[in-house]
Amino acid sequence: MKHIPDFFSKEDNLSIALPELFERWGYKKYRMSKFEEFSFYSDNRNFLSNSEIIAFNNADGRLMALKPDITLSIVKNAKLSEKLTKLYYNESVFRMSSGSRDFKEIKQCGVEVLGEIDNYLTSEIIMLAAESLAMIDENYVLSVSHNALLLSLIEEFNVTLAVKKQLISCIGGKNIHDFKRLCVNYSVPDEMTEKVCRLAGIEGKINDVLGDVKALCTSEKMLDAVAELEFVCSALSACGLSDKIHIDLSVTQHIDYYTGIVFRGYVEKAPNAVLSGGRYDRLARKIRDNIGAVGFAVYLDNLNLYYRKAAEFDADLLVICKDTENSEKLLGLLMEHTRNGLCVRVERSCPEAFRARKTAVFENGELKEAQIC
Amino acid sequence: MLNIALPKGRLGDKVYSLLAKIGYDCSEIYADNRKLIFESVENSVRYLLVKPSDVAIYISHGAADIGIVGKDILEEDSFDLFELLDLNLGKCNMCVAAPVDFVEDLDRPLRVATKFTNIAKNYYLSLNREIEIIKLNGSIELAPLLGLSDVIVDIVETGTTLKENNLKVYEKIMPISARLIANKSSYKFKTAEIEELLAKLEKELKNND
Repeated sequence: MKHIPDFFSKEDNLSIALPELFERWGYKKYRMSKFEEFSFYSDNRNFLSNSEIIAFNNADGRLMALKPDITLSIVKNAKLSEKLTKLYYNESVFRMSSGSRDFKEIKQCGVEVLGEIDNYLTSEIIMLAAESLAMIDENYVLSVSHNALLLSLIEEFNVTLAVKKQLISCIGGKNIHDFKRLCVNYSVPDEMTEKVCRLAGIEGKINDVLGDVKALCTSEKMLDAVAELEFVCSALSACGLSDKIHIDLSVTQHIDYYTGIVFRGYVEKAPNAVLSGGRYDRLARKIRDNIGAVGFAVYLDNLNLYYRKAAEFDADLLVICKDTENSEKLLGLLMEHTRNGLCVRVERSCPEAFRARKTAVFENGELKEAQIC
Repeated sequence: MLNIALPKGRLGDKVYSLLAKIGYDCSEIYADNRKLIFESVENSVRYLLVKPSDVAIYISHGAADIGIVGKDILEEDSFDLFELLDLNLGKCNMCVAAPVDFVEDLDRPLRVATKFTNIAKNYYLSLNREIEIIKLNGSIELAPLLGLSDVIVDIVETGTTLKENNLKVYEKIMPISARLIANKSSYKFKTAEIEELLAKLEKELKNND
């Protein structure tokens, strides 16, 4: 992999490193317009984590939207090959920020595979998710779950859709006490409640907990889900990733869209998940005929807040140019430095709040190291 | 080192004494001073004393790993965090209260005074009842007495303040109690420490029952 100098911010750094990783695995760049017809998003509003969209009328009077999501657009617009379509993107989305209640431009970089998805492809995507997290911070955790395990059990509860959503939200927040309370209020049989709670409590490294998950499976559907998890986990163990991948059955993604394995990635210095993805056949089939899909997105916004620039200095060499008559010679001298990998800055006097590893003066046609600032 | 955000006040004191009992003591906290951060290297714990309504903000931004917060705060705003335990402390109810002789006029929107505007909006939305929200920051009980609102939505603990102001509980919205919350990323990287504290705390709470 190319060496990226440490004067780039984390976000800039990842904007180069992640596409390079995806290219190496044969994914092709997908570039898209920033706009899409508003009606497309309003039809798929539930898929969006936040339903607020920036809309405007274009010159023809059509109602357009600034993209709040990339996956939806790719599934709708990508030209599909007969076999598999493997794409990556590095784009901005426009969403409401939960804190300030203002719209924000959020940079996302991610991959999508469309076509007939098998266990190998799911493993490849999760491996790429793990590699992407490792590029942000070596201290990362990728929490993996399978929608068919917990959510399919909740789907069987004889309660309204609104209550199911409340129950799923409790599971996602590891809020077992309110989950149990709701189940009592809506007369869900104790046995079913207990089964979900026991599964939801399972969290740990793949080799430690897969057995526990399997022991609690009671249907064909659940056993199939565990077999899928087992395949993926053994593929990831073979890549030496078993320590970083955790099974956490409380990880949930929207049941209307996600069908199989789902995951979320955390890095030590960021307070919330920085990566999210999974198998979303239901969404793909809603928009295109008979295709499967799997993918993830890395949220690049805010990473610069948690990962400051590694550079200790703004430049390796600060040059104060006092000899403007002979400055054509200076350019040649400094080019040599930059070609050797150094970072230089030329000024007429000491700039404010500038950290230089070394300082030098250019006078009488010569460059001399000197303490000047 | 576990960073714990405690709400200043009675609830925080109560929770601290429970945590001290199960091995998370920090003697510095007893010192009579205005410090807001207390650390015990020995017990690998650091306490932050914050305004009760700010605990969830500290946790969701990762400024503390775990914290104690009332369910009312969690219901009023949405936070991206884990809610790990109901401590069953500081129990009360979120209620609609009204003057004792109140008769609801269904022919016009209901005027609701509250500082919990989202809880009130969601509650009446679930009833499909049109309301007009009057956001207040304190002394909510005054609003119906002065004709500013028809009802109030507020926390009711014993009901004494309501009685003294000639008000009554008109409807119960939800029970409220203190919850142990955790930052999602902290939970992933300090799972063993947080789970250990959780197990000890649960045991202590059961013993106290």
